[in-house]
Amino acid sequence: MDNLPELLHGFTIAVTVPHLALMCVGVLLGILVGVLPGLGAPNGVSLLLPLTFGMQPVSAIILLSSMYWGALFGGSVTSILFNIPGEPSSVATTFDGYPMARDGRPTTALATAFGSAAFGALVGVILITFLASWVAEVALAFGPAEYFAVYFLAFASFVGMGGAAPIKTVVALAIGFAIAAIGIDTVSGSVRLTMGVDELVKGVNFVVAVMGLFGIGELLVAVEEEFHARAVSSKIDWREVFRAVGRLPRHALALLRSAAIGCWMGITPGGPTAASFMSYGIARRFSRRGRYFGTGEVEGIISPETADHAAGTSALLPMLSLGIPGSATAAVMMGGLMIWGLNPGPMLFVDQKDFVWGLIASMYVGNIVAVALVLLTVPVFAALMRIPFVIIAPLIVIICVVGAYSVSNSYLDVVMMLGFGIVGYLFKKLFYPLAPLVLAIVIGDKAEDAFRQSMLMSKGSLGIFFANKLVTCLIVGGIALLLLPLVLQLARPFRKPAPPTNETTAQEKVII
Amino acid sequence: MISRRALELATAILTGSFGVAVVVQSLDNGIGWSSAGVDAGTFPFLTGIIIVSGSLYNLVRGVLPAASLANVPIAITPLELRRLTSLFVPAAIFVAAIPLLGMYLASALYVFAVLAIPRHQSVPRALAMAAATALGLYVVFERMFQVSLPHGALAAAFGL
Repeated sequence: MDNLPELLHGFTIAVTVPHLALMCVGVLLGILVGVLPGLGAPNGVSLLLPLTFGMQPVSAIILLSSMYWGALFGGSVTSILFNIPGEPSSVATTFDGYPMARDGRPTTALATAFGSAAFGALVGVILITFLASWVAEVALAFGPAEYFAVYFLAFASFVGMGGAAPIKTVVALAIGFAIAAIGIDTVSGSVRLTMGVDELVKGVNFVVAVMGLFGIGELLVAVEEEFHARAVSSKIDWREVFRAVGRLPRHALALLRSAAIGCWMGITPGGPTAASFMSYGIARRFSRRGRYFGTGEVEGIISPETADHAAGTSALLPMLSLGIPGSATAAVMMGGLMIWGLNPGPMLFVDQKDFVWGLIASMYVGNIVAVALVLLTVPVFAALMRIPFVIIAPLIVIICVVGAYSVSNSYLDVVMMLGFGIVGYLFKKLFYPLAPLVLAIVIGDKAEDAFRQSMLMSKGSLGIFFANKLVTCLIVGGIALLLLPLVLQLARPFRKPAPPTNETTAQEKVII
Repeated sequence: MISRRALELATAILTGSFGVAVVVQSLDNGIGWSSAGVDAGTFPFLTGIIIVSGSLYNLVRGVLPAASLANVPIAITPLELRRLTSLFVPAAIFVAAIPLLGMYLASALYVFAVLAIPRHQSVPRALAMAAATALGLYVVFERMFQVSLPHGALAAAFGL
């Protein structure tokens, strides 16, 4: 409970007129990128990043995190009204959200989604409030070996729980590490992996990679299937909003279960997408009305939405307290932190109290602002979906090009961005996950430094990773997660092969 | 038409050759242990090895007719391929034109070409949108955020 005064102090920072205005701007921009196909939270946040360099870090992070909340909400709007997920993490919302809206209950579907999303986010923020500073305190005692072990655990959990093919995840991760290593080595100062291109000495910025992988890549995937915006009515009936939210407590069990799944998947970097699918799958199995799922069940909306937002929010916990982002968007934000001159990790809670608690307090306020704004603007953004894709697509290409260029005023970055676009398309098409790739680019250097420092301490012996209980547990846990897919595969012949369902292919489609 | 198998193979070869490049390059930095600790090339070398072996695994998985792959034999249909190229080729030309024409002219031409040539919009409307795009970029970046976008060799030749 000793966090409460600090949280209250945070509120005095977050609840000021300029910061509330920033929240509104962030949320609206977030809903915009969430609604538009081809633009999502990761590249929306990285587009805004160059514009925050002149700001106070607190204001900058409030703007960026509000955008993240807005994008999470915006993705659900198109899922429910158009059956087009604006964000990969809101695909599971289409399963029951769209049928309910089509049956003439769009307000109920939207209000249920936003209400449960807000609940999920609230649980995530409360978790951060009470857990983050404690985790940071523990992490203060970490040496390089413990840090490397935590990084290892984080990356291993992608392989073990990310849901994509394990070897493809490993390849994506390793490519990210290699890209992170391009440029000047931070330890020895020598130039690495420039492939003969002198300009690569400055390294490959993660914003360039995100623009290509998520922006151009997603656009290419989207253009393949022509969109038919079969809109259902986007009128909001305000009395029904309150009635739908009032009915939510009846589904308390589903809410709590989904929030728990979401928090777990957010902290161990599984990401919101995996969380929403897992939560939907579990709800269908355990709900009494499970066999009605897919026809507009309330719990079919509650489960993915709650887990999605709980995961999105709690992904910031490891970012703040350990310096390990829990999702691709959190990775981009962490890149921002480093650019603003902050060192993500436990020292934030000692040196940058205003920043940390201002951010945490803003998460409470920001989500309330987001719910209000998204409900008010549903008709506006629904109208936006009627703009033909052929007009939106070139604009998004230009946005990505300009975004990549403005990172360091380099034309090479634009060309690389386009290259990353092709890679992003191929990876999406073949179910290679993109989030671990981005994470590895952002924290690859830190993981490598931790490894090399521990090797220096131990004079080259790997024994340092088994020197004490904590580090041994982390490493063993990581190895167990790495081996998990293998064990499952070996165990498969002993079970009856499950018939392939439509849902698994849909899930495969969106793992990023 | 591009089969799923061909796409898997192409991607595995792409990632694999990147891995090989990483391995070869990292040898220049030295791998192993020296007086200064772990050599700079060691970590990239290991990741390169992982990329190569993972790509080989994916390559073999792509060749073998596994049950999961047989479900979706076709990855890209001719129609989809046409849509893909109609988005990507103009975008690539746009990027290639930036050093010569500059960001503003190139993006205006790009928007105009993409909208007017396939007759998605009438010529006057496409012109208006192209002009609005360039103007919007100028106002937001050059004026509001003071980020100078490339003006291009052509503008330099005219002394702009």
